[in-house]
Amino acid sequence: MSVDSARETLYHRGEADMVATIQNTDVKQEDAHGAVVVAVTSRALFGGDDDDDVSGVGVAFPLLQALQRVNQRLLEKDPAESLLFDVVLITTDSQQQQQSSRIVSSTRHHGLEVSRFCFSSQEDFIESLLTNNVQLFLSTDRNEALQASQQGVLSALLDRQGAPSEQLRVMLCGDAVVRPDAGPAPVSRPAAESFSSRLGEMRRRFGALDSPLSIVLVTSSGDRESCGVALRTLRSRGLGVDEAYCLAGAPRSPILSLLRPHFLLGDGVIGLED
Amino acid sequence: KAPWSVQRGEDSGEEKDWAAAKAFFDNLKTNKPRPPKPRYAVTIAVSSRTLFNMVAERKIYEDEGMEKYVAYQVEHENEPLMPGAAFPFVKALMTVNSRLRQLYPDSEELFDIVLMTNNHAQVGVRLINSINHHDLTIERFCMTGGKSPTGYLKAYMTNLYLSKDSEKVTEAIEEGIAAATMFMPETENELSDTQLRVAFDGDAVLFSDESEIIVKQHGLDTFFEHEKEFENKPLAQGPLKCFLEALGKLQRKFYAKNERITCPIRTYLVTARSAASSGARVLKTLRSWGLEIDEALFLAGAPKGPLLQKIKPHIFFDDQMFHIEGAKDLGTISAHVPYGIGQKYHKEKLIEQSPAEAF
Repeated sequence: MSVDSARETLYHRGEADMVATIQNTDVKQEDAHGAVVVAVTSRALFGGDDDDDVSGVGVAFPLLQALQRVNQRLLEKDPAESLLFDVVLITTDSQQQQQSSRIVSSTRHHGLEVSRFCFSSQEDFIESLLTNNVQLFLSTDRNEALQASQQGVLSALLDRQGAPSEQLRVMLCGDAVVRPDAGPAPVSRPAAESFSSRLGEMRRRFGALDSPLSIVLVTSSGDRESCGVALRTLRSRGLGVDEAYCLAGAPRSPILSLLRPHFLLGDGVIGLED
Repeated sequence: KAPWSVQRGEDSGEEKDWAAAKAFFDNLKTNKPRPPKPRYAVTIAVSSRTLFNMVAERKIYEDEGMEKYVAYQVEHENEPLMPGAAFPFVKALMTVNSRLRQLYPDSEELFDIVLMTNNHAQVGVRLINSINHHDLTIERFCMTGGKSPTGYLKAYMTNLYLSKDSEKVTEAIEEGIAAATMFMPETENELSDTQLRVAFDGDAVLFSDESEIIVKQHGLDTFFEHEKEFENKPLAQGPLKCFLEALGKLQRKFYAKNERITCPIRTYLVTARSAASSGARVLKTLRSWGLEIDEALFLAGAPKGPLLQKIKPHIFFDDQMFHIEGAKDLGTISAHVPYGIGQKYHKEKLIEQSPAEAF
């Protein structure tokens, strides 16, 4: 597949400057209704040292590998499985947009299963997210994540240190789950709840042991009871927690450095304010 | 506590976390005490099977596997679990805490009890419900869903770790954390509910196993000669020395307020050494460390069980299974410290090990 020929077509149609979404024909396209669409920024994926032709991998690389592993295990259990992660790579600024062919070739080079590439700019990347039905947007840029979240797209910041674990580790903040509504509910809450429940469904395909994904709950300031409430609340939303840590004011960083989540799933706003 | 070097950035994050928790607890209607600041507290980590009696549930895990076990626990999560081996010890720690809070309302130098389990978080709901039912002041926990607790022990600044799993205990000791494997007697002696009593063996528990090596390899006579010769040379420290030290520090807080006689912590040394021939070195070592022990009992080889029955400690630490069994048989809650040369022997005989047996 050639990005350049696709863009050429758009140019002739006078649409070259608009958002372009290109399918990666090397990768099987997911069932639109079954899949959980996750968008990752190309800046987060390709932030490492560059070769001449190919970009080095960045923070999001272990995450994509972990998502792929989950998909593999799901398909092992049921080759007809449709509840899979569908990964979309998105550029969010014009500079990255111009690197489109390099991005595509680097993706292929690193063996990453990205089903679609969205080449957008700062002004229109959120539109891309919405058009592509993105259920979770992951970025290393706090502002981007905040913006998307304010438009109702569930967003999360990627852990800058990266996570070496093979298992996909998703962290939730217990204090946020049980916190009484202080103001208007975050715009992305419905998206958060729907994503949680789909993640939970995916998690249930596996047993207690040897799961390719783990749901980790951390309660920082609440007591044991609030952690218990968080566990039951998440359960009622269809998300079973695997590991739970109640800190009750104990310092967080030693624990977080052991937990190594790939990302923190908040309401879409609360996680980002940390 | 081991020196905890904290960078400035981490420090302010730590303060933020602490302040948020303080605000949370201050706002609770129940007035239950908030847990102390970890860097000042004496942190005791207990596993779920030492805190509660989970023998039946464990059997389900062993016979029917993980999935059935988790399902069973979830099904029964509103049925509180019964007390386990560490339960009386935990209650006694809570008693000391209330006395400390009365005398020093603003101090963070308290016991902090943490539940450290590699149980799955879904089983955790039943554990939380059980803690609620028994009204235990345990606010911090780690439910690692299968992962080793050792890293978390350090992250929680643990001073003592109690578990039923000797492998985890051994791992902790190798990482420099005081730890012991707990054993529940069939019938328990009636324990004090106003005073925490902790009994320690000497060699390979408070002290290193250097002298024990001599006994095992060269016999008692050589041992006596050696101890006499080196009477004034302090023994090296053993895995539980720092825990005794932490207890001593809390004891002195009571002495400072004129509460020596009514001090709710009492410590005992219960050693097979004899006072006449090898006792001096032990007492001199303790003195050189600046540590006090309330009662030093030299048994000169007599069994420990009957004496412990009289002392009635909430926990008794020993490195030799022979003594653990003797204590347990007579109703004392015992904790095995898998350290030193004593692990290679049963009574006085070297344990024959086939290559297949992992030690």
